[in-house]
Amino acid sequence: MNSVILIRMGRLLTMLLLQVLVFNHIHLLGYITPLVIGYMVVCFQRNTSRTEILIWGFIISLLFDIFSNTAGMGAASCTMIAMIQPKLLNMMAPRDSAEDITPSIATLGFGNYILYVFLLMFVLHGCFYLLDAFTLMDWQLTAISIVGGSVFTTFIIILIELIVRTQRNTVHHT
Amino acid sequence: MRALIDLIIHNKHWFVFLLLEVISLAFLFSYNGYQKSVLFTTANDVVGTTYNVISSITSYLHLQEVNQDLEKTNEQLREEVYEMRQQLEAIQQDSTKRMPALPSKYDVVSAQVINMTIHKANNLITINKGEIDGIRPEMGVICSRGVIGIVYMTSRHYSIVMPLLNVNSKISCRLRDSEYFGSLIWQRGYANIAYVTNVPRHAQVKENEIVETNGYSDIFPPGLPIGVVQHIGDSPDGMSYFLRVRLFVNFSTLREVSVITNYHAPERRLLEQMAEDPTQKDSVLNKLEKEKKLEEQQRKADEERAQKEQQEMNRIKQQLEMRHSASAPSLATEDNKTNTDTVR
Repeated sequence: MNSVILIRMGRLLTMLLLQVLVFNHIHLLGYITPLVIGYMVVCFQRNTSRTEILIWGFIISLLFDIFSNTAGMGAASCTMIAMIQPKLLNMMAPRDSAEDITPSIATLGFGNYILYVFLLMFVLHGCFYLLDAFTLMDWQLTAISIVGGSVFTTFIIILIELIVRTQRNTVHHT
Repeated sequence: MRALIDLIIHNKHWFVFLLLEVISLAFLFSYNGYQKSVLFTTANDVVGTTYNVISSITSYLHLQEVNQDLEKTNEQLREEVYEMRQQLEAIQQDSTKRMPALPSKYDVVSAQVINMTIHKANNLITINKGEIDGIRPEMGVICSRGVIGIVYMTSRHYSIVMPLLNVNSKISCRLRDSEYFGSLIWQRGYANIAYVTNVPRHAQVKENEIVETNGYSDIFPPGLPIGVVQHIGDSPDGMSYFLRVRLFVNFSTLREVSVITNYHAPERRLLEQMAEDPTQKDSVLNKLEKEKKLEEQQRKADEERAQKEQQEMNRIKQQLEMRHSASAPSLATEDNKTNTDTVR
């Protein structure tokens, strides 16, 4: 139990630092910032208590908000995906998979995993940029931000996944 | 109770979710100026609308007071306007300005409308000039925009005019371009619409053609504008046109009118009677003489009155001068006295 919390704390700090130090300075097309903190929510395995997912998602996004002066926006959207993550994982997981399946390329399959990540990121960025714009006046710009951000973040998360998993795999093997 | 607790425990993630979202939104709105401003403008819209509704209801409660206030102000303004108008009148006593289109051989007397109706079937206008000013029944009344009506009754200082807006009024008229005659009548209803009947079927009437007096009636000189043809219809018997005419005169705002005074309608009628029936020549001539005598008497009476007034004025002037020559300190009180005297 403690080790789980520690791992999560470590992941939280890593993702937060990555987000704050690196990705907050990436502005695709000048205004699209990928919200990689969503990876925190993506990683929760099935059968995790939904309340836990909500709280972890809320904490990381709240910290992110504090660092990037977006008070509330990240928190609201990350809580949102924390709410739908279990359902989505249930839908995406293969029927014969284990109860406590951890979402990854290996467990879900490449296509499903991409779809799973993309949908979560889409909701995340959707909420985030809608709250950011808080109007439908420039809906084209908002739409571009949402789609571009979610695609780009999905790409980054897949990359991270590949790097981490392969490293872990090599570590395990050796 | 237990079921409720079970429900809460079972769905606690929903409550957590809602709680966290509320916290996030609270942060969002309290730390972001833009979102805050948007939220507060929407809130203000709601609040504003509510207040609007409330005030629109409560304002009815004060309507009576407001009305009284307005009425009072109106009265004051009306008095002021009246005074101003009197002054203006005194400055520009030039009747030609009122009716520039009128040929110079017609004398007109300016008058003001002091009472009128426009919504009845038999509308009448009261004007503030009467026999003393030379107004007699059957004289034409016009204003700067066109024909108004015919003098119907007179008293010494007032006259009653039968305007076009009277179902008994019938004025002969013609169409300016095609020169066909007709008679102008009015039907109860609109105060700016009259009708021309008896225009023959073969007349080529166009819309927007001007209707004017034809000068055949012995009341109006020819060529005074009445209105403009708005719609061409058929009379009920199908024998003639029935034209709807929009009147030039706006009766609802009518105030200044002129009465054409030197159009000797009665005399002319007598003459025509005489021509038709030579046997009555003597009586007609007698009538004419009687009228002449009457006019003479009237003129004499007027002159006498004018003389008397002049004498009175002179007397008052003398009194005034005498008092002014009195001692200076008592001047003010003396002035007051003279004022009261003159009023008397």
